[in-house]
Amino acid sequence: MDDSSLTIDLIGEVKAAIADDFTRQARRFGCRYADLRLEVVESQYAWAENGNSKGSGKDDALAFGIRVIAGDGISAPGYYGQSLGAADRARLARVIREGLRHAHERAIANARGKSAAMAAFPSLATAFWNTRLAPAPVHRDTVPAVFEVDPRSVPLADIVALTREISSAVKATAPAIAFNAIAALTQISRELFVSTEGALIDQAFALTQGTCYVVAQDGTVTQELTDAVGHQRGWEVLSRGVQDPPGAPLLSFPDFRTFASALAGDAVRLTRARPAPTTEGEVTVVTDPHFTALLAHEIIGHPTELDRALKMETGYAGRSWLLRSLDETQVGKPIASPLVTAFSDPALPGFGQYRYDHEGVPARRVIHIDRGIFQDFMNSRQTAAIFGGEPNGHCKATDPSLIPLIRMSNTVFARGDRDPRDIIQEIDHGYYLVGHRTPSIAESRENFRISAMKVYEIRNGELGQLFRDGGIMADSQAYLTQVDAVGTDFRLIPIPNCGKGQPMQTKRVGNGGPTLRSRAILTGSTE
Amino acid sequence: MIRTRTLAQAAGQALELLRGQEDVVEAEVFVAANTSLVARIHFTSHIPCNGVEEPKSLESVGLGIQAVFRSPDGLRIGFGSEPNDLTPEGARRALAKARQAAVADPEFVSLPRPGAERRRLRRYHDPALLRLSDSDLVEAGWKVIARGLDVFARSQVLARMAGSGEALFRLGLILSGDVSILQERIAIASTSMPGVQADESTLILSSLTAMVEAADAKGSGWSTGTRLADFTGDSGAEAAENALRAIGGERVRSGRYRVIFGRQPVADLLNNLVLPCLSLGSFYTETSAFQGMLGKRVASPLLTLFDHGALRGATASRGITCEGLPTGKTRLIQRGRLVGLLANFYEQQRILQDPQAAARLGRDPRAVPKALVPRNGFRFGEGGGRRFEAAPGISPTNVILESSRPVSREELLTQVGDGLCIGRIWYTYPINGLRAGDFTCTVVGDSFLIRDGRLAAPIQANAIRINDNILRVLHGIVGITADRRETTVWAADEVIHAPEIAVADVRVDAIAEPRESSTPGTTPTPK
Repeated sequence: MDDSSLTIDLIGEVKAAIADDFTRQARRFGCRYADLRLEVVESQYAWAENGNSKGSGKDDALAFGIRVIAGDGISAPGYYGQSLGAADRARLARVIREGLRHAHERAIANARGKSAAMAAFPSLATAFWNTRLAPAPVHRDTVPAVFEVDPRSVPLADIVALTREISSAVKATAPAIAFNAIAALTQISRELFVSTEGALIDQAFALTQGTCYVVAQDGTVTQELTDAVGHQRGWEVLSRGVQDPPGAPLLSFPDFRTFASALAGDAVRLTRARPAPTTEGEVTVVTDPHFTALLAHEIIGHPTELDRALKMETGYAGRSWLLRSLDETQVGKPIASPLVTAFSDPALPGFGQYRYDHEGVPARRVIHIDRGIFQDFMNSRQTAAIFGGEPNGHCKATDPSLIPLIRMSNTVFARGDRDPRDIIQEIDHGYYLVGHRTPSIAESRENFRISAMKVYEIRNGELGQLFRDGGIMADSQAYLTQVDAVGTDFRLIPIPNCGKGQPMQTKRVGNGGPTLRSRAILTGSTE
Repeated sequence: MIRTRTLAQAAGQALELLRGQEDVVEAEVFVAANTSLVARIHFTSHIPCNGVEEPKSLESVGLGIQAVFRSPDGLRIGFGSEPNDLTPEGARRALAKARQAAVADPEFVSLPRPGAERRRLRRYHDPALLRLSDSDLVEAGWKVIARGLDVFARSQVLARMAGSGEALFRLGLILSGDVSILQERIAIASTSMPGVQADESTLILSSLTAMVEAADAKGSGWSTGTRLADFTGDSGAEAAENALRAIGGERVRSGRYRVIFGRQPVADLLNNLVLPCLSLGSFYTETSAFQGMLGKRVASPLLTLFDHGALRGATASRGITCEGLPTGKTRLIQRGRLVGLLANFYEQQRILQDPQAAARLGRDPRAVPKALVPRNGFRFGEGGGRRFEAAPGISPTNVILESSRPVSREELLTQVGDGLCIGRIWYTYPINGLRAGDFTCTVVGDSFLIRDGRLAAPIQANAIRINDNILRVLHGIVGITADRRETTVWAADEVIHAPEIAVADVRVDAIAEPRESSTPGTTPTPK
């Protein structure tokens, strides 16, 4: 590639001047508050199908997003976002200034609209507020990326070869493999956050991910499985696997080749399994850490996002049964078994690891459930100002041109004290669900159905028959309340595709937990 | 916004550059300028809010080059793109990326070449939508809010519930959704096409959810259109009126019911389950629920389904695809029989070379050329326009569902007699993989009990989950209304022209009543 490529060094070169110009211009416009997010990404990727390369790329990207709070009298927000390229380097300050002008005009027009609505609907006028952000400490910091093998140093041909070879190996697993797609991505990004309050945060991240999609077929039975490995580290994630932290890993998976082969083997075995039955009522179910991770995502993570709880997602991803109104919440009330503790922690390794969120707020652990009692939500500065409490650093965007939303960091069920083997051995009859597959969750997260990769029948404390196309269905609170055993085998799982927002932002987050035992309806196939 | 003529000139210049490259065998240049304008709406009477929460935009301009390179190892195909630089220098950078990324794909046949069909749609965009200012965007959002709040403020039902006009806010009145405007301009030039082609399209969508949260009552409203004059803000009023209709919702017992699926559920079922199975790519990957069924019955003979990208005045119409081929009508299901598939050029050529094609499709593809015409090669990106940085995939456009024996809504209700009318579903996923057809979703609003052929009482939001199989549902259709309405689904690019359909024996499971709910209800006998 020629030397005009964008590199993450751009952020270091421009940050002082851009921060100065942005804050000066924002003051000149009369903004009550403004922030800027600017990011450069250098990425390499490749994918293959059935042993054939299908595509690859070595690319760079530059984008920015601006938030303004402004207004004469009552204030309101306005936003602007844009993708840029190498040609914009020389005109970056001018492009950002133009974006600031748009965001400011939108905020001013929005404040005007708010005032007009308050006058037109006096009985509902108390609902409109003077937009503000909860106070947060102002930081100026630089956070380097962490990696062993720099994503930029990997020859693209190596990435192409790896995906092709793994795809060939998956294809060769068994004649039953009808299709497979293997993709690998490694990248480094650097983000700048600047605010009129004086924040100037420069954070860099490495990220490497491998995904495996495999379809196996035997007669009329087809099994379609997909799963991912990944971490905010360098190419070593795929070439060597991850044990983080070393010795007593919370995030642990093998090299990409071994991982993909195992998934292919599972798909083949499942084509020979019987479909799972659907039970009439609740039965004892045990979920492995991979399945538990999706449970944590769906019935802990999403309902504890404060923007959802404050109804801001009513038209899209839904609300939360944990908050009816500001006066009627589940805070301080029992919603789960005393064995259940759950939290979100950006300090844990994985996709959800970061030091500052996209409002420049230092990220910290948020306890959602403490021994069965509901405690707190993930928040943003705006939602913290509405609901109360300090901002806890969970406001993130997929890309700087998009608006930060409240997102999970690493949302997990905490480790318990039971040996997972004992959890199964105590059961006369039940089912063991291994590996999550597809979720469907009720609008306020009060009910769920999630399918598993594999379901084993448990008889007299032993794993028995393997079933395919099985899952569980339950009401969330009932499920959480009936948890009667929590394992010691805590694991974090990378979740590559959490969707939220309009337009939809697909984001990587971390989830996890240990083996859990509770009660639910076992759901099977309709065949 | 950059003029279409400028995009066309850039495409032509870039193609000239490509023609001068010794190693380039074939090449295609795709140039795009997209602006997505969104006024995201969030009103909550009982929680402080902004009304227009996110007035924002996302802009992207750039060019993408797909080229076939001659190399010592044979032909290699690569894709590269460059944002925000339409000059020859930008094209050179995109070409360098494409050359570096090129891989040997044995299934690649050629870049898209013109067929027998001719373009039918030109000059169909609305210049007024291309000239929208920042304040116009914000005002569009407030227009929708005002229409919705007006319905709430005038409601005698709400006034009685609240006890006084001043107490109205305590009822938890919610308006949530957006007004979204898309401005798209593209140009495409290829060594395989006769000249530079351009296309310009606009659309304005609005989707609103309203709630009277104190009564767990939810309603939807929406509008679609290609012209600014089409936009009235009525979606806000419609949503609020439907929320008022939903007050007094009853609960439903688990069982099998005759169900009328309203327009949103029809669109949701098509988007998540049926259309993915009608994509030619899913047949290649062996994941379509209609695998091997081309020419065979896949649904009730009442059902006819087609995609029509060149329908004048329809919201999702485009003049040409993102492969430079004419859009047009593709028959998919004709009186219950599978007769055609959604295709792009790559997948069409791949299946024509595939020795297993007849088994995958159910017919030799060479015997049914009209079933596999590449009219759906688009580079859409979750509502963000036609993306220059992506290679074409397969996307539906305007999807029209109709019946050979259409009936009125009254006739449909009479046909059902006793059952459920489901107006909105959520989180509809193929829970055991696409091919199995098993799906699940929850019912989140706009739904009613049907007794004696009439809508009898609203169904409480979030009180039931549907667990069934899409193949069984398609075969179980017993009636389809004559009238259709353009309907969209969150994060989808196609527009469904949805009627209402009645289906026999749909499996429904009750969700436990939330603690807070105090709405009593009766339930009909399941059928």
